[in-house]
Amino acid sequence: MRALLVVAGHELRSRLRDGTAPLIALVAPILLATLFGLALGGDDDPPLKATIGVVDLDGGEFPASVQREALNTDELKGVLTFRQYPDEAAARSAVDGGETGAALVFPAGFSEGVGAGRGGKVSVLESPQSPLAGVVARSMVDRISALVEARTLAVRASLEAGVPADRVQLFVEENGAAGPALSLVGDPVAGGRVDLAVHYGAGMAVMFAFFVVGTTARSLLVERQNSTLDRMRAAPVPLWTALVGKSAVGFGLALFSMCATWLSSVLVFGASWGDPLGVFPLLLAHVFAATAIVMLVASRAKTDAQADGYTLGVAFVFAFLGGSIVPVYNLPEWLRGISLITPNGWVSAGLSELAGTGAGPSAVLVPIAVVTGIGVVAGTVALLGFRKGRFA
Amino acid sequence: MTPALVCERLVKRYGDKTVVDRVGFHIDEGEAYGLLGPNGAGKTTTISMLVGLLRPDEGSVRVGGIDVDEDPVAAKRLIGYVPQEIALYPELTARENLRYFGRLYGLPRRELTSRIGEVLDLVGLTGRGDDKVDTYSGGMKRRTNIAVALLHRPRLLILDEPTVGVDPQSRVAILDRVEALVGEGMSLLYTSHYMEEVERVCTRVGIIDQGRVVADGTKRELVAELGGTDRVELTLDGDVTAASEKLRAVEGVSEAVVTGSSSIRLLVAGGRHLLPALLAAVGDAGAVTGVEVVEPDLEAAFLHLTGSTLRD
Repeated sequence: MRALLVVAGHELRSRLRDGTAPLIALVAPILLATLFGLALGGDDDPPLKATIGVVDLDGGEFPASVQREALNTDELKGVLTFRQYPDEAAARSAVDGGETGAALVFPAGFSEGVGAGRGGKVSVLESPQSPLAGVVARSMVDRISALVEARTLAVRASLEAGVPADRVQLFVEENGAAGPALSLVGDPVAGGRVDLAVHYGAGMAVMFAFFVVGTTARSLLVERQNSTLDRMRAAPVPLWTALVGKSAVGFGLALFSMCATWLSSVLVFGASWGDPLGVFPLLLAHVFAATAIVMLVASRAKTDAQADGYTLGVAFVFAFLGGSIVPVYNLPEWLRGISLITPNGWVSAGLSELAGTGAGPSAVLVPIAVVTGIGVVAGTVALLGFRKGRFA
Repeated sequence: MTPALVCERLVKRYGDKTVVDRVGFHIDEGEAYGLLGPNGAGKTTTISMLVGLLRPDEGSVRVGGIDVDEDPVAAKRLIGYVPQEIALYPELTARENLRYFGRLYGLPRRELTSRIGEVLDLVGLTGRGDDKVDTYSGGMKRRTNIAVALLHRPRLLILDEPTVGVDPQSRVAILDRVEALVGEGMSLLYTSHYMEEVERVCTRVGIIDQGRVVADGTKRELVAELGGTDRVELTLDGDVTAASEKLRAVEGVSEAVVTGSSSIRLLVAGGRHLLPALLAAVGDAGAVTGVEVVEPDLEAAFLHLTGSTLRD
């Protein structure tokens, strides 16, 4: 234990002396989280506020009822605003100019076509600058499609059953073919809505945990190249002392970094990451997994530069896939599943439960277990690699 | 008295390649033993197994009677290991390096402070102890490298090529200090490919070649194996390769090795008497410009045992 403390103390002093600990563990994650939070988060501008343009060339009941229904749903109440435009060109100009986030175009005769069972076609105009409005607009089109499909089927079935054509529309409405209720497709974060200040604060903390541990992995490789690792291993201490002592410092600094980013998010934005009794174990599990993964990378690297490159690659790929940079809901469907092979994805999902729904610590037991499991597997493989590579 | 080191039938393989093949030798208490061999002969791999950095595939190592495999921590406490590379933190001072490694060896704070002063004095760096190592010359780094291994007063000092890359003055200083340590009764294992260092410092020598100890004994014993063989150093202007082949055909010549662009080393039974035959054998391969007949020595013994010169 004494030797372990000697190695850890030496490692910590080295990290402080070369400036990597304060920069990577504190300054960079807090600065980036704050900048992202200021740019994208905050209470004054709820992330799901959206203005949708409507071009009603139909003039019938259908477009009006869709708008009424949308404004009355619990999920979209207060979030959505409709703005009317006379034609598609005006709507396109408004979307391109940022006046409205997206627009729906109902063609002439739409309501009549639906009523007669012929279906109809609604266009969506989107802007890459307003992805959330696009999500809402597409959700509404999905809803409309469901309604149109239900109505079309109902009308055709009624006609087949011998209902006179002039009575079909009334017959269908009386017997209910309204279809499913309107809901928001692509809820940004599973489990609940998280303020983007929280999302990016946690994302940066999760991503930088890899970089913080990476500096320790790098120093391990440097020590091997400089033969100081062999000198430590030749000392009358267990062979694993150097490896564990240095890893412990990486672990401790990464945990400190995550907690500091969490605290800064609370102090700067007044954001809540959820119940601390759930948040802390989740962060702890992530740091364990990040340490094990980075050490696995180090155990396979031959030089410190190679370890740096590998760590950078792993950290960014995991951050991207796991929603630490781009929210998971913005990823293609097939990538969302992949996010759950990363600890970042599970931490993101866990924090969405805690911060988004206000759930208690029990809600993150599964994410904690999975992230710890990832750490155990990576750590075991890393240890085998370290033994082979004469680190321990 | 328990020997300082006993290693028996050490084997280390990497895949199909056996880099250390049944190496065995012992070092008595207070004895200086030299392990002599060319680069790649297996010296460093053998040492790595002796100090517990590598686990042998076969064989055993006992330091002061303690089996390194069974109780590595206790065995390592008896060893002072000086690796071939400069194993120091360049951004730290010599004193900081010594303090860190001394603490790792478990020296109490007060004792450590006085020992740091003593070893810095021993290696002649008292005045530079607070300077960063990266400001040192190669020789000063080497001396600091040795100082680290002496901190805990080891029973057995293992020096792996301790003078590689140092200037002649520092080399002499290092050898002086090593001799002094042996004089004080410290057991020593010294590896080098510099014959003269081993001849000067060690009382007994093992010659290692291609992973095997091919001979082991005092300098006198090893030289005696040569019988009446002399070493003849021949210099000539001409084709040394062709000349060496012609010389090898002369009866009484057991080895003829090209050692430079104009030099050949020969092992010749009754060297002085055979000189006319040797000069005649060179013939039109070149003009002989110098001949030196040397009494049998370790260099000749090494050539006789391995068929190559030490710096091949």
